[in-house]
Amino acid sequence: MLQLLPQAIVDGLLIGGIYITVALGFSLAFGVMHIIDFAVGEWIMLGAFLGYYLTQWTGADALVFLPVVFVVFLGVGYAIQPIIHRAISGRRGNPVLMGLVFTFGLMLAIRGLGLTVFGFYSHSLSSILSAKSVFLEKGGLFLTVPVIRLTGFVYALVIMAALYWILKKTDFGLAVRALSQNREAAGLMGINARRISSWVYGIHVGVSAMTGVIIGCIFTISAQMGGDYTILAFFVVVLAGMGYLAGVPWAAFLLGLVQSFFLIFGNPSYTMLAVFVILYIILLISPKGLFAKGV
Amino acid sequence: MGRKTMVGVAGLGLAFAVLPLVSQDTFVLRVATEALMWIGLAISWDVLGGYTGYLNFGHGAFFGLGAYTTAILMMKAGWPFWASLPAGGLVAGLGAVVAGIPTLRLKGAYFAIATWAMSRAVQQLALVLEVTGGPDGMRLPPFLNPQFFFYLMLALVAVLFVTLWFLLERSSFGLKVKAIREDEEGAMALGLKPTVIKVQSFVLSATPAGILGGVYAYWITFIDPASVLGDLVTDQSVVMAVFGGLGTLVGPLIGAILVFAFKTVFWAYLADFQVLYLIILGVMIAGSVVFLPDGVVGLVFRTARGAKGAPPERPAEEPAGREAVG
Amino acid sequence: MRPVILKVEGVSKRFGGLLALDDVSFEVRQNEIVGLIGPNGAGKTTLFNVVSGYCRPTAGRVTYEGRDVTGRRPYTLARMGVGRTFQVVKPFAGLSVLENVTIASLLRHPRRSRAERHAREVLEVTGLADRAHRPASGLTLAGRKRLEIAKALALEPRLLLLDEVVAGLNPTEADRTIELILRIRDQGMTILIVEHIMRVIMNISERVVVLNYGEKIAEGPPEEVARDPTVIEAYLGEVAA
Repeated sequence: MLQLLPQAIVDGLLIGGIYITVALGFSLAFGVMHIIDFAVGEWIMLGAFLGYYLTQWTGADALVFLPVVFVVFLGVGYAIQPIIHRAISGRRGNPVLMGLVFTFGLMLAIRGLGLTVFGFYSHSLSSILSAKSVFLEKGGLFLTVPVIRLTGFVYALVIMAALYWILKKTDFGLAVRALSQNREAAGLMGINARRISSWVYGIHVGVSAMTGVIIGCIFTISAQMGGDYTILAFFVVVLAGMGYLAGVPWAAFLLGLVQSFFLIFGNPSYTMLAVFVILYIILLISPKGLFAKGV
Repeated sequence: MGRKTMVGVAGLGLAFAVLPLVSQDTFVLRVATEALMWIGLAISWDVLGGYTGYLNFGHGAFFGLGAYTTAILMMKAGWPFWASLPAGGLVAGLGAVVAGIPTLRLKGAYFAIATWAMSRAVQQLALVLEVTGGPDGMRLPPFLNPQFFFYLMLALVAVLFVTLWFLLERSSFGLKVKAIREDEEGAMALGLKPTVIKVQSFVLSATPAGILGGVYAYWITFIDPASVLGDLVTDQSVVMAVFGGLGTLVGPLIGAILVFAFKTVFWAYLADFQVLYLIILGVMIAGSVVFLPDGVVGLVFRTARGAKGAPPERPAEEPAGREAVG
Repeated sequence: MRPVILKVEGVSKRFGGLLALDDVSFEVRQNEIVGLIGPNGAGKTTLFNVVSGYCRPTAGRVTYEGRDVTGRRPYTLARMGVGRTFQVVKPFAGLSVLENVTIASLLRHPRRSRAERHAREVLEVTGLADRAHRPASGLTLAGRKRLEIAKALALEPRLLLLDEVVAGLNPTEADRTIELILRIRDQGMTILIVEHIMRVIMNISERVVVLNYGEKIAEGPPEEVARDPTVIEAYLGEVAA
């Protein structure tokens, strides 16, 4: 039993990596626009399906289409953001709540659309890397690492690094950080909140869609898959502390580990349950997240 | 709620009451029973959603908890329906306390997704446990009496409406709840304890849903995780309340009737396009937020009645126009 | 010597790297009006937040009527007799003026009908009775500031914390508010008032406490404080009304 431990850990970390990418955009969108995007799982689903159809039509490797999917959904997010903004700035007293209801409606509509267009079937995206695995043997230690999962992990690292670079080293990133700290002051300094928000949401949607492609290579996709991923994104972000980007990787890895442990040592059907119980306990003790740095 | 509205609602109740005498058609009775159920679900959702300002995207879980509790007590413990039903409500209420204490301390936004996640967890639980029959669900002893269920539903929803009207529009509790919705921080300075009030509101919202679930179980005689713990119960309750008008009792009432009527017609003619319905629901909610922030009720009762149920305007910073000094 | 109603001892408050309050100590005695002044950012509102339970001090103690209330929540303090207004007014925008005050009255009069009657009385006293059924969001700034006071009064407090209730009003409105404050004091209330408008503070306070950069730099009768060189220096660059 114990010899499975390293495998469980590796699996957990690899999966956790993917959760990081999903959660980062989600957390960013919250920090800048103060909306919780209920539809994040649906963007993943749409991205996955776009990748699927592109590979079906051209026969090329799924991973080739990552940039394409990103650009397409960057545009989608950029275009939708003003509508969200309009929904939020209505007369009603509570913008955050209204934004929530709006993205909830958006989620329903997109899922319905997905079911209508794609049906109830499951699919899998294929990549040359899908079938390969790396085997490690060292003094009693056996590890099977599917290359595609490793790729997903590398992908996650690249995204993290890119986002970090954008946020810390570019003017745009500076504007984003200013906006998330103090919207009014940022506006007074000439930062165009609307445009920046549109870009941020676009990036969030684009990255989520890209992650959908990766997920499609590792797991199966279906029009209904969105819900679980939205919840996972939410879990990671709440665990890390809402709006606290630095905590996301840790929370994501924790979640990945819990999931893989249940997969290998326990009963997989209880995974979501276990994850939820953990979240519940943490919320009970520390409402601001593991690092007590949430808003 | 003005005099005219009260008369209207009373009239509606009367119309429902004489329905079985007017129509012998069991189909009509069934449709009317279901309509009443949705009215109850929409109104109970609004207690926490519109009145308190906390969006519960797991409302369906309480419905399911009530349904399963009633079913389990009747089938596995041999309890009579009259005892199982209140037990269902009780379990739902307790569920609200358990779920609410950690989540209501947070801001409304996290609460929304936390409840959604919670409802999926409950559904997951029902799928894996043996006592709930897992994915196959549970069958209840058939009690084929459409009039009974119709009148039961009517009685329950009528009692609910009157109780909520009293609690939310007439008593001090209602004022406190609205204060929390408007400004939690400010309310604390006036001696109000937000968490306590929110939990009470949550229980007030969840218990009726549980009771309605219990009735549903006995009425339909079959429940499974997909039908009573799926997303549709929540989704529809939310649409009905938002579309009808948040923060009022009449809003969800009207919203429920309109949306349910639409759904019935839709299902009758477009049963092949069920998934289309989901899109329509989504568009309705999203559209309501943008175009109908006060719901249908707001549109109809636009004669500004001041504060009663009207949505809060953002306070203007500059005094508008003439003033009375002091 | 009148009993001490409020005692602030060595209160400090740190927000990350910022020391908003630094070892502040003073007392407020029964039926006094004590003014709290200082340049922008001096920590006045933070002090109010500490005293009214919205903020836990990093160090120090707050004693109310002889009991240690450091870190107690705002609703507990309200129940104990502390009422406050907010600098950025917090009306319950979607509710009527009467409903706003009724909510406050519920503290001492749990039954809604009784609370409503009490609220009407408070509205009379504060001159808002003619606007009882208007939505709170429809009031002018003066009205909303008046509503803040009304809500605090409806709590039947023994200590009233007024945060900038006069700022932003025209002279006539300001005078009427001052009248109201003095009337409240005459009925036995103890008042701690933060205000930017010098003539208001100097005219109605018996004593004045001056904060600058979180520290207490002066305390005493208004005339003394006005002549204090440290105070004058702190306000250099500030427009003294």
